[in-house]
Amino acid sequence: MSFTLSALADPTRRAILARLAAGDATVNELAEPFDISLPAVSRHLKVLESAGLISRGRDAQWRPCKLNTEGLKSVDDWLARYRRFWTGSFDRMDSYIAELKEQEKRDERKNRR
Amino acid sequence: MSARIADDELLITRTFDAPASLLFALWSNPEHFKRWMGPGDFSCTEAEINFRVGGTYRAMIRSAEHGDNWFGGIYREILANKRLVFTFAWNNDGPSAGVETLVTITFQEHNGKTTQTFHQSPFLSVERRDSHVGGWSSAFDKLAAYAAQITKEFTA
Repeated sequence: MSFTLSALADPTRRAILARLAAGDATVNELAEPFDISLPAVSRHLKVLESAGLISRGRDAQWRPCKLNTEGLKSVDDWLARYRRFWTGSFDRMDSYIAELKEQEKRDERKNRR
Repeated sequence: MSARIADDELLITRTFDAPASLLFALWSNPEHFKRWMGPGDFSCTEAEINFRVGGTYRAMIRSAEHGDNWFGGIYREILANKRLVFTFAWNNDGPSAGVETLVTITFQEHNGKTTQTFHQSPFLSVERRDSHVGGWSSAFDKLAAYAAQITKEFTA
């Protein structure tokens, strides 16, 4: 899981995945929109492949890259867990603020007496 | 599909009935922090906060079902009542263990209410982290534009 996330943490790799979402592509095609060398793109592809986010064809010369949607599932789960964690915390933040305001009102009334 | 890939970060925007100064204190003061941190079935029983840039925080949330869960990080930017940036990681063996994330929170006050924008994303190893601060958002902007363009082509 942490491997998938660190693979995704890099903006170039995320853009590569976005490109592959539109269809399979060769290394050359993937490198085109970026200002980086082919070996650098290949390194990114290796990381994505070992994280299970892409798979590569067998054709030795072209080895087209393909998005592996299964790999992204774990990222979705990770996001969903964090979303529940924070949304639940912010619900409590809301109640706590209401509680503090009540307390403030009570203190004001006390001070007026 | 492209939109979903570009969305491996978390963005939660919420307006609270409180001034920005109070919201900021809810994050920076451990006594306040403990009162709301963690979803409904958890309670936050420990919080140590060294509230300065480069300072660390460490806290624990507890529930009957999930036991004790420690987490912590380092404050990277502090702009009173406006903006807060810190790292966040779980210190346990759970599925997210060891994945360091960056949290950026901004506060915008309007007529006594405050909109809190909370953003969290995973990031690379410690060595590469520093190079990301600053360059991070522009990289995301570029990716978003690229993903939008692809989506358009894809659905056209």
